[in-house]
Amino acid sequence: MTRSVRRGFGVVLGTAILVGAAACGGGFSDEGSSGESTGEVRMLVNITPNLTKGYWEELVKPFEEANPGVDVKIEAPTGQGVKDSLPQLLAAGNAPDVVETLMADKTLAPQMLDLTDQEWTKDTPLAQEAAVDGKVYTVGVGQQAQSLVFYNKAAFAKAGISAPPKTLDELTAAMEKLKAAGYLPLQTAGDYVTGLQLLQLSDPSIASAHPDWYQKVKAKELTVGKTMLPLLQRYESWIKNGYVDKNALGLDDVNAQTNFLSGKSAMYIMGSWFVRTAEQAKPAFDLGVFAAPTEAGQPSPGPQGVTMAAPYMVLKSTKQRDLSVKLVQWLVTDQKAVQSQLSQDGNFRKGYTDQLSPLGKQVQDILDQAPKHVAQGEGYGANTLPKGFNTEWNKAVQSLYIGKRAQDVATGIDSWIGSKS
Amino acid sequence: MSAIRMPRIRAISVSPRPVRAKGAGRIVFLIVTSVLMLVPMYLLVVSAFKSQQDILNHPFSLSPDLLTTQYLQKAWANPDFDIVRGYAITVLFVVSVNVLSVVLAGPVSYVIARRGERRYRLLLLLFVAGTFIPSQVLVIPVVYTLKFLGLMGTVPGFVLFETTLTLPFSIFLYAGYIMTVPVSLDEAAAVDGAGKYRIFWSIVFPLMKPAVVTMVILNTFSVWNDFVNPQIILGPGSGLYTVTTGVYAAVSQYSTDYTVVFPTLLLAVAPLLVIFVLLQRHVISGLTAGATKG
Amino acid sequence: MSGGAAAVRLRDRLTTAGMVGPALLLFVVMLVIPVGLSIYLSLTDWDGYSANPALVGLRNYADLAANSEAIRAGWVTLLIAGIGTVLLNLLGLGFALLVNGASRLNAFFRVILFYPHVLSALVVGFLWSAVLGTSGVVNGFLTTRGAEVLPFLSDPTWALASLIGVLVWAGFGVNVVLYLAGLQTVSRDLQEAARIDGASPRQTFLNVTLPALAPVVTVNLVLSLVSLLKTYDLVVSLTGGGPAGSTQTAAYLILWDSFHNNALGVGSAQSVVLMLVTAGLALTVARLRSRQDQGARA
Repeated sequence: MTRSVRRGFGVVLGTAILVGAAACGGGFSDEGSSGESTGEVRMLVNITPNLTKGYWEELVKPFEEANPGVDVKIEAPTGQGVKDSLPQLLAAGNAPDVVETLMADKTLAPQMLDLTDQEWTKDTPLAQEAAVDGKVYTVGVGQQAQSLVFYNKAAFAKAGISAPPKTLDELTAAMEKLKAAGYLPLQTAGDYVTGLQLLQLSDPSIASAHPDWYQKVKAKELTVGKTMLPLLQRYESWIKNGYVDKNALGLDDVNAQTNFLSGKSAMYIMGSWFVRTAEQAKPAFDLGVFAAPTEAGQPSPGPQGVTMAAPYMVLKSTKQRDLSVKLVQWLVTDQKAVQSQLSQDGNFRKGYTDQLSPLGKQVQDILDQAPKHVAQGEGYGANTLPKGFNTEWNKAVQSLYIGKRAQDVATGIDSWIGSKS
Repeated sequence: MSAIRMPRIRAISVSPRPVRAKGAGRIVFLIVTSVLMLVPMYLLVVSAFKSQQDILNHPFSLSPDLLTTQYLQKAWANPDFDIVRGYAITVLFVVSVNVLSVVLAGPVSYVIARRGERRYRLLLLLFVAGTFIPSQVLVIPVVYTLKFLGLMGTVPGFVLFETTLTLPFSIFLYAGYIMTVPVSLDEAAAVDGAGKYRIFWSIVFPLMKPAVVTMVILNTFSVWNDFVNPQIILGPGSGLYTVTTGVYAAVSQYSTDYTVVFPTLLLAVAPLLVIFVLLQRHVISGLTAGATKG
Repeated sequence: MSGGAAAVRLRDRLTTAGMVGPALLLFVVMLVIPVGLSIYLSLTDWDGYSANPALVGLRNYADLAANSEAIRAGWVTLLIAGIGTVLLNLLGLGFALLVNGASRLNAFFRVILFYPHVLSALVVGFLWSAVLGTSGVVNGFLTTRGAEVLPFLSDPTWALASLIGVLVWAGFGVNVVLYLAGLQTVSRDLQEAARIDGASPRQTFLNVTLPALAPVVTVNLVLSLVSLLKTYDLVVSLTGGGPAGSTQTAAYLILWDSFHNNALGVGSAQSVVLMLVTAGLALTVARLRSRQDQGARA
């Protein structure tokens, strides 16, 4: 390298570091400001077939009408969801004022406004459980029950199964009968569904066996792989026996729902938000739901995996702090706004049971009868696994379909967790 | 870097004789291939007019009682993806990037082509090395550079970055092309008292037309079809979307609801395909005109 | 030296600077500095937005060597680039020979072979996933007629093959056009002479046409390789990286780690490796081909 070239390289690297330092430091020290009583509030939301952009805009209209001069701008993620878009926006120094769908963790909490002192947060569901180091950053509209098995009552009758299974062994036995009766016993799909279903199924038995599972995993007294191994092995045998479709990875959630609701498959493990989709489809058969079974010898029903529905956070950097907090308070406490969000996405909250559908009532009963509500997967608040676990777990479960052994999958997930802590 | 030097063989001939792979056999083979190439497009067009059930059960059928325009109308009216607006924004980007790219790359290529000094050769090498940088990866640090400049999430920021991506190949092609333009033309103009800028823009540039056309075609495709860069640089805050990022927003959540996928895709690609078919001769010959002469 | 000459030289320098400056400035700001920034960020543990990234030296690179996911993505990328480059060029050259010539029919075939390039990779991916998905058009057609589902996108090997197949479907038309342009430059006299000397068409092709095409082949190989090494859009829309992460490419994993996983340092380290590998491979191909290129020029 000639001297001038070397000098040029030095200048470039120097400038790059300068830009980097400015990007890392400067842009993020601003603490935001309380802002005006009018103006624009930008809210980044999750978009799903249930929660369209149009729905969100309708939802916040009463708030805009009650607060003249306030414009709530709904922003849909451009990446593969809010989880990609928020970091991009934070990096770009163009963060929204309010973000829906994510929950605070150790990485996000420093970017978010501490809502602990806001009195109204006390009455919102799971706010305390989701607190990070005792501080409330995330407030939600309701609860989602996770560990639910929706089932086709006609298929169960045809297969000669009189009562929903209470243990995982009974579940496997039921699958055998359902298969003999000509049904695909358990509907699953690729995408995020594979891993999620097995997590939902695992909540009751894992939490029964190890009430403080998250703490023990963190303290390395237990490993995720070892505790999940029996379930992974069970799942492996389901694949082998054709109780799940061996080509399911090519389906997505919508395909899976369609297959189940058109009567091709007998069971579908999914969270309570499926209630709305299921009822809208008006299936030709009688639809039921039971709590995910536990291992033999464990109490039934077991603990229920529960997550926060429609979690909201206010960004620390917001220039409209007062207005953003006001909006979030309205979203999670206003009677009508709460009711709308609960019914739109099949969620639950104490004191909002009047408008429940028959299937919704059954889910509410399952929630009420569960001895305990527990976190799931990556978790929240004090019960967490390393960030990215859900994605990693999903891939791990999917690899069972492509010939990997349960033992290797368990070892793999443990080594991933090891690399993150 | 000699690798990406375009062919420099001086050919006497105009066109070589086509390889006659036994006449009829060749035609049949090409027809079969054409059918394979066109089947997905056929499915795209007919499925845009069918219900989910009919798409799956009778994918190839053209029976009139299966066809309806209701899904197409719904896609057209999608509030999250206004196709006309997407086209307008994308056209604006394409035009800006092309103009800026020529204005910036032209003069620097002229200097590189006409000056023999080592440092200008190094400059060419530096620019050409840019072709090895994958833009999907480059965009991550560019976010911070643009933020530093206050251009993140803005149209100028996006256009400047896209223009930068066009520079390496443009300069490479233009410089090579200008070398084939006789220096005597420049000298004659200089004697008449014309400055460097005048010489370039009024004498050399008009002769570069084939190379410029080639680059304009290439850049139009790359800007039009770019996905990651507009997605990340424009982001959700700007409210701006190109045809490609708009398709993603409209389709990604519904990728197996084919009554959304096919009509949206059809609306997104139809105008472009029609333009391509109308201009096909110019596009295909223009793509290489600038490259082969250099 | 007289004052006038100095003034002329100064003006000359200013004009040159004015012609070079804007492009160079933009290039440095938007490409050179970001690349430098990538190198710098790859030495940190930054999540992309917190205030204080720490310098961690080469740890991100050391972690990469032990990261089975990154290694797999690397192999997948190389596989796509390797197989894809060969297929694109075999088909490109083959079809260029078949549709060479000025007839209307040939012009028609050229349009058909080229048209997928007009569509963005994202659109192509969505289109093909609707065609090949487990519940897609082909499988819908098969299952309603009682046949087994074909796992185009649900089996790792099939999915990778489908991905490469679609890349080739969408891309080889460009190679056809580039090879056609190259064929225009092959001396017809030489081909004619070979024919008169009694060479078979095959011999003429191998001994006259192909050597003369050498530089075009090199250009095609390098362009295909460089563009396949950054495969991203099609992964997003066709397979989503699945099943079980088996079709994640390097570019896909880099963006995933950088933003979704808040591991910008790790993502940047992968970026630097990808840039080096891309440049290294392209230069290697160029070097390996340089003898043929020389032959063509002689």
